Amino acid sequence: MRPTLSLPTFKSKLLSLLFYILPSPIRIVFSSVLYISLAAAITAGFWIIFNVFEQLLFFWPVWVFYLPEDAIISFILTNVSAVLMGLLVSMNVYIIKHFKLQISKSSLFSGTGLSILSSTCISCSSVGFLLISTFEGLGIVVSNFLSIYQIQLRILSIAILLFALYSVHARTKKGCMIEYNNKRRST
Amino acid sequence: MLKPQQNQEQGKLKQTIDITSGISFVGIFFCLTIIAITLMSSSFNSPIVKNNYYYAYAATAEEKQQRETNNNNNKNNISLPNLIQQGSPYLGDPSTAPITIVDFSDFQCYLCARYVKATEPIINQTYIQTGKAVLVFKHLPNRGFDSINSSIAAQCANDQGKFWDFHQLLYKNQKPIDSGWVSKENLKKFAAKISGLDMNKYNSCFESQKYKSFVEEDVALASSLGFQDTPSFVIVNSKDGSNPEILKGAHPFASFKAIIDKKLREVEDSSK
Repeated sequence: MRPTLSLPTFKSKLLSLLFYILPSPIRIVFSSVLYISLAAAITAGFWIIFNVFEQLLFFWPVWVFYLPEDAIISFILTNVSAVLMGLLVSMNVYIIKHFKLQISKSSLFSGTGLSILSSTCISCSSVGFLLISTFEGLGIVVSNFLSIYQIQLRILSIAILLFALYSVHARTKKGCMIEYNNKRRST
Repeated sequence: MLKPQQNQEQGKLKQTIDITSGISFVGIFFCLTIIAITLMSSSFNSPIVKNNYYYAYAATAEEKQQRETNNNNNKNNISLPNLIQQGSPYLGDPSTAPITIVDFSDFQCYLCARYVKATEPIINQTYIQTGKAVLVFKHLPNRGFDSINSSIAAQCANDQGKFWDFHQLLYKNQKPIDSGWVSKENLKKFAAKISGLDMNKYNSCFESQKYKSFVEEDVALASSLGFQDTPSFVIVNSKDGSNPEILKGAHPFASFKAIIDKKLREVEDSSK
């Protein structure tokens, strides 16, 4: 008789397979519930911030989220940014916690600043107005540049976040190897 | 002592950290700049002074004085009869509608275009066609250098009762801010597409900048209401412009519904 694979077993096998496809540093960091929760919280926080600035999410006079046709691309891009930020910040926290002496704390903000800038200022009409009212002609040029190239800037910010994620990934991997070698030498 | 291989690893690690720190520095610098701008502008808390200049052209002293006198006369008067008397374009039946929605928009603003495409048709269908509300358009052309011309052109179309055709046409064909899509020539081309519009009258109105001061007054009114963003809305009782509710941004229909339904209930209760 041929062995049959039940659905729950299949699901758990698929999940574990997906988990093992991930690069080992990501597996190491996100094997802890603490870092999964941290990443989820940060992603949710940035998702709210981005969508409020993009005027897709409103809290007054009623709580409402809507997705008009013209905002679909930027919504997808901001979602990617929010997820990447969640991953990046929690991996940086892991590095700071575990390899204190080797990591500069400023690297926590790698790419994050630029991403926030490109995702919020561009879509936030108030900031555009502030630029105009503060710097007049130059402000208009800056505000227009940010509005016209918002999709490109968002893609750039995602590229920076991916680079930052790659470097955090490399640091985690190397940090683990050095720690492992140090432990071996001390024993 | 570290082995050469470990030294190399440490060196690479340091290099990676240096690069990411550099990027972080740039990111943080930009964010701090934006925070500084925000703080700076929040200290100028008088909306009228901040918005009173018009960056698209220089207003003369006489024009400014004239504008201030006009503003003082009609300041904060956003009752429907007054708005209609001023010559603002409106949609709906002013004799029956108890509620007025005043929309402050710029033809170059992409969020205004979003509102026009996603929300305005539902408001029109639900409240304007049913005689419950009137929609009044006010100009707040603060998004680019070409915005003022588009506002003046739209007002010239309004002279011939074609404002809403022009309004729809511009938002439908909206392009990036100041890319030339609402240059004087293109505005004439847009006007020529509207059937029934007398181009001679339109050209004469547009060339003479007939509605320049009218648009300026709209900007001053927006300032007095504290509006900086486009689109911004104030929803009032039609009769006397009382009980204003403000909505800033390209809100979805649900937001408008919440406010308008509440106001309609209030009007109903007060008439009992």
